[in-house]
Amino acid sequence: MDNYFKKCCLRYIGLLFSLGLAFPASSHHSFPAQYDAQKPITLNGYLIKLEWRNPHVYFYLEIEEEGGFEEWAFEMGSPIAMERNGWNRNSVAVGDILEVEGSLARDGSNLVNANSVVLVESGRRLFAGSSRDD
Amino acid sequence: MNRAAQRNPFKKILFMLSCPVFLATCCVYAQLPTPRFDDGTVNLGAMKGETGHWNSGVGNLSENFVEMDGAYLVHPEEIDKVAPFRPWAKKIVQERLATLGRDDPHPRCMPNGGPRQFHTPWGLEIVHDRSSERILVMSGGANRSWREIWLDGREHPDLETYTLTFFGHSVGHWEGDTLVVDTIGYNERFWFARRPSGMPHTDQLHLIERISRPNHDTLHYEVAIDDPGAYTRPWTAAWDVPWTSFHMTEYFCQDNNVDLEHIVGPQ
Repeated sequence: MDNYFKKCCLRYIGLLFSLGLAFPASSHHSFPAQYDAQKPITLNGYLIKLEWRNPHVYFYLEIEEEGGFEEWAFEMGSPIAMERNGWNRNSVAVGDILEVEGSLARDGSNLVNANSVVLVESGRRLFAGSSRDD
Repeated sequence: MNRAAQRNPFKKILFMLSCPVFLATCCVYAQLPTPRFDDGTVNLGAMKGETGHWNSGVGNLSENFVEMDGAYLVHPEEIDKVAPFRPWAKKIVQERLATLGRDDPHPRCMPNGGPRQFHTPWGLEIVHDRSSERILVMSGGANRSWREIWLDGREHPDLETYTLTFFGHSVGHWEGDTLVVDTIGYNERFWFARRPSGMPHTDQLHLIERISRPNHDTLHYEVAIDDPGAYTRPWTAAWDVPWTSFHMTEYFCQDNNVDLEHIVGPQ
């Protein structure tokens, strides 16, 4: 195989890859009306409640603030999305310490749309299950 | 041209000709054929013993291509490319886009009538109930509602007395391998597209949907929209809905719908 033929093959493979990557992502429904993607936040805290329910999974952390603790709510995708990406309702347990990255709610409440969750003790990163696509 | 190509120009021509042929051959052989019932009728659902359903399609209800960011136009000034809106309809869709879909009935767990059923998350199943000659289109998402398409030759009811509904009254027939569905009788209490968000319609909405399955993994959805109340002329849109081998898991929007108080739109 000469160099010209190799170059053509590589271009061809590159084209196939770029076509594959060009598939559009699912769109949001209420995400932009509820959350501000321009306001990212990272929080650490103890898991105090998990609601593995439709339309979206919610979990609640107790987070240490100056002078005490505050409860924050975190929204994720639906249980269907979570399960298709390797989560289940026992992936985290009350008392686990989680580090969460996400976007703040527009209404100023203690609510975050989670897009990354890490179990602090093990460092295990759980699926990023934002409700953005749901 | 480089030296290799100069040495053998036929190689370049041969390569260029072979690419599309190779691609087309791969596509044909990678796809399973369209499933059919014993009498040859296309089966728009799962085959015996098969698990799977139609995933949510990613198409836009738009007459022309417009660049989208999710449910919103990247260039809002392109709104006239989407559909031939009447002035009031254009104003209302612009308001709904500008407020980021804040008032959409969908997060309030209302049914997704019309084309919206074919691009709502968590997909749909299409079941041909041959004993009653109707097809059921069952949503996996939203409030997990369903519509029926009568294939038994019945006519539409009198709209003067028909109670207008989210899914309207649908009658269908086969044209070759394409299911053609005629629907009237819609109410105005839902937004009939997910993308773009906020597309308006009136109770004059009349849809002709053409649904086909060119291969096992693809549902092709075409819709002709005739609504003289909202649009100046009939217009069309189309997209593909992919098959997924996941089971259509139970989902009810109503279960723990705690978002509503936080859906505030731009602040």
